[in-house]
Amino acid sequence: MSIRLLVLIPVAAAISLALSAVVDAVALPLFLDTTGTILATALAGPAVGIATGIVTSAVNTLRNPTFWPFVVVQIIVALYAWAAARAGLFRSLRTAIPAGLGLGVIASVTSTPISYFVFGCTTTGGIALTTALGKALGLPPLGACFFGSFVSDFGDKAVTFALVTSVLHALPRRAAARFPWALRAIGAA
Amino acid sequence: MTRRHPFTLLTIAGALPALAWTLPAPVGGAVTAATALTLAASRGLHRGLWPAVLTAAPFWLFLFILHDVPTTVAIGLRITTMVASFVWVAAALEPARLVEAMVAAGWSASVAYVFAATLSAVPLLKARARRIVDAQRCRGLAASGGVTARLRALRALALPLILSALHEVDERSLALETRGLVPGVRRTPLAPPHDSAAERVLRWGLVALCVAALTWRVA
Repeated sequence: MSIRLLVLIPVAAAISLALSAVVDAVALPLFLDTTGTILATALAGPAVGIATGIVTSAVNTLRNPTFWPFVVVQIIVALYAWAAARAGLFRSLRTAIPAGLGLGVIASVTSTPISYFVFGCTTTGGIALTTALGKALGLPPLGACFFGSFVSDFGDKAVTFALVTSVLHALPRRAAARFPWALRAIGAA
Repeated sequence: MTRRHPFTLLTIAGALPALAWTLPAPVGGAVTAATALTLAASRGLHRGLWPAVLTAAPFWLFLFILHDVPTTVAIGLRITTMVASFVWVAAALEPARLVEAMVAAGWSASVAYVFAATLSAVPLLKARARRIVDAQRCRGLAASGGVTARLRALRALALPLILSALHEVDERSLALETRGLVPGVRRTPLAPPHDSAAERVLRWGLVALCVAALTWRVA
């Protein structure tokens, strides 16, 4: 791994964690905590993306220990983003947003068993309340937990994919060309 | 306890939650939670016990809303163990000593760099994000209204932050190259933490205990 790709890992992980300040400013129910993982994968491939996801989870764990079991979700997000980059799905918002919605489904399917068996669906206040809503609607416990995860992940991953697509297109071509996957991800190579 | 080898501290912090989830509830969870809270309390009320209790409290509330009392107690004690263990290790473990221990154990300097660089970059980027929010508000950006307006505002705030961070990649990589950090290279630690035979036995003993508890529960 080159020095540039090594440096990209902490920068991308820090982007994921710093975006919470931006989300707070616009007061939207989003996490955007996989932005760095998806961006690093789209720029530099799956190894850098997976490493970014693991580092993001590890550093987030120091703030809130309940993040660590969800490291699996970060790895799956990186693998999905790699497949999306290979298919050139970051070429426009028209392709990126459906891809993000697909990731939302996969992420919620992956995080539901962790949330249910490890935390009893209480990972965040929002997920706990939507799970309670699912129970009130008559869903079984695991179904209510999936409902809670799905509501939080579905829109979040679509916005994240759209944001990463905007970044990739806003990068000057010369800067993008320094990363091995960037041009292919936006369908320019 | 802070003078213990960093790997010992991490092993204890990892073993307690593992045992909490493996041993039968609620007794197993009660023992591990009491141990973890005692360790957290050893770091002081404000650095250890209080953050652990404050972090664990919402989980108890949400568990109580979603589950019956026995399930709430069983899962709540496990989560409390996990939270208190990590709060304790975050307060007791000095990052610099961990890096030295990793380098002494033969880990690549790149791995140590990645963790240290992330920890130092997060507060810098958060501060920059707040400056961008202020600057865009001065230019008339409204971060309120409907969802579409807020998403537009999100793009206007996030894009400069991410692009500026990406532009730093070249500067940082040049700085590292001039300092001789080559991926895969091994470095000699300046002050490696002392790792006694007793601590190595303790670490392996905890791992063996976790494996034994898991085997007992599965069998």
